[in-house]
Amino acid sequence: MASSGEHSGHEKHSPLDQFEINPLVNFEVGGVNLAFTNSSVSMVITVLFITLFLTLTVNPRSIVPSRMQLISELCYNFIAQLLNDTVGDQGKRYFPFVFSIFMFVLIGNMVGMIPYQFTFTSHIIVTFALATVVFIGVTILGFVNHGIRFFTFFYIPGVPFYMHPLLIPIEVISYLSRPISLSVRLFANMLAGHTLLKVFAGFVVSMPFFTGVLPLTFIVALTGLEILIAFLQAYVFAILTCLYINDAYHLH
Amino acid sequence: MPQLNPEFFASQLFWLVITFVFLFIFLWRISLPRINSVQTKRENKIKEDIKKAKQLQAEAEDIQEQINKQLDQAKSDSAVLIKSAFTKLQDESSKKLEELDKNLSTKIDATYETIEKNKSESMSQIYEQINDITKLMISKISNIQVNDEEIKMAVEKIRQKVIN
Repeated sequence: MASSGEHSGHEKHSPLDQFEINPLVNFEVGGVNLAFTNSSVSMVITVLFITLFLTLTVNPRSIVPSRMQLISELCYNFIAQLLNDTVGDQGKRYFPFVFSIFMFVLIGNMVGMIPYQFTFTSHIIVTFALATVVFIGVTILGFVNHGIRFFTFFYIPGVPFYMHPLLIPIEVISYLSRPISLSVRLFANMLAGHTLLKVFAGFVVSMPFFTGVLPLTFIVALTGLEILIAFLQAYVFAILTCLYINDAYHLH
Repeated sequence: MPQLNPEFFASQLFWLVITFVFLFIFLWRISLPRINSVQTKRENKIKEDIKKAKQLQAEAEDIQEQINKQLDQAKSDSAVLIKSAFTKLQDESSKKLEELDKNLSTKIDATYETIEKNKSESMSQIYEQINDITKLMISKISNIQVNDEEIKMAVEKIRQKVIN
């Protein structure tokens, strides 16, 4: 969460310093800066952790799973159940994608909870990219499944006819704002949580004598809360993805 | 706010695409099929075990039934045996008792006869001796000569008197 070391000295720290991106290996392709940064480090750690954990803990021959394997299977069943509950049988095709999204966001958030680790999900560009992939994918899916009739998604049946001029624009706007709401929800939660932790950490240092213990206890409690939010936001991201996939199959 | 600085947008997107696509393909092709196969295998194993257990249970029930049947058979057999043995014993013992009764009664009869005989014999001897004693007493006390017939008659008379 905190990466204050580089800019330190006796200057004032901003709680937002932790979100600063520092290039570690610079390289450019066609004039575009594609530096390997601290954000990339977190992404690589996240992906390595997920792939290694899911590979090393699962022994394909074990009828009785080990404790670690149970965790892997728990994640698997959790998302499989979620997809089955929201979408149904057709949802099985999208299981690898939803599972990847969930694990990527979840472990990304958790890696961010390690002190001095960068939280890549606290950057709007990352969450927006993920949300856009979901949005575009779901929209294509809707048109593939229903063709031009997908536009009836914006038409709500059972409403008085004179309400439609009002409701259809609202529906279109709410549909188009899906990637924004999806990305901003995750980004804002991560940003707020880590900023809050940093602000309280500043209090611990600046408060005189023993009064610093008070904000310290707050940090401990908030860290617990942040871990909960890290899980919750990954869950919300996954369940909304499922719901959008469901919408692409079942119009109103 | 560093989030709104577009300097590293391209880099972040680039590395996001690389890492996420790698993760997606790895999970899709390797991890998830492995977990799926483990779970399918486990499910099959459980189903198989349940099937086997049901089969074994049915077999056990069959065996139990057979045991019960044999027990019932044995019980009825033993009841018949006990009954026949009982009647046989009863017959035998009653026969023996009858025989014993017969034997005893013949013995009793024989003994009774002997006693009667002995009694009459000893009675006649007693009378004879009484006659002798009477004759002797009379001859000793007086000089009257009495013949045996008279003594016999007199003793008989007194005896009748005593008995009556």
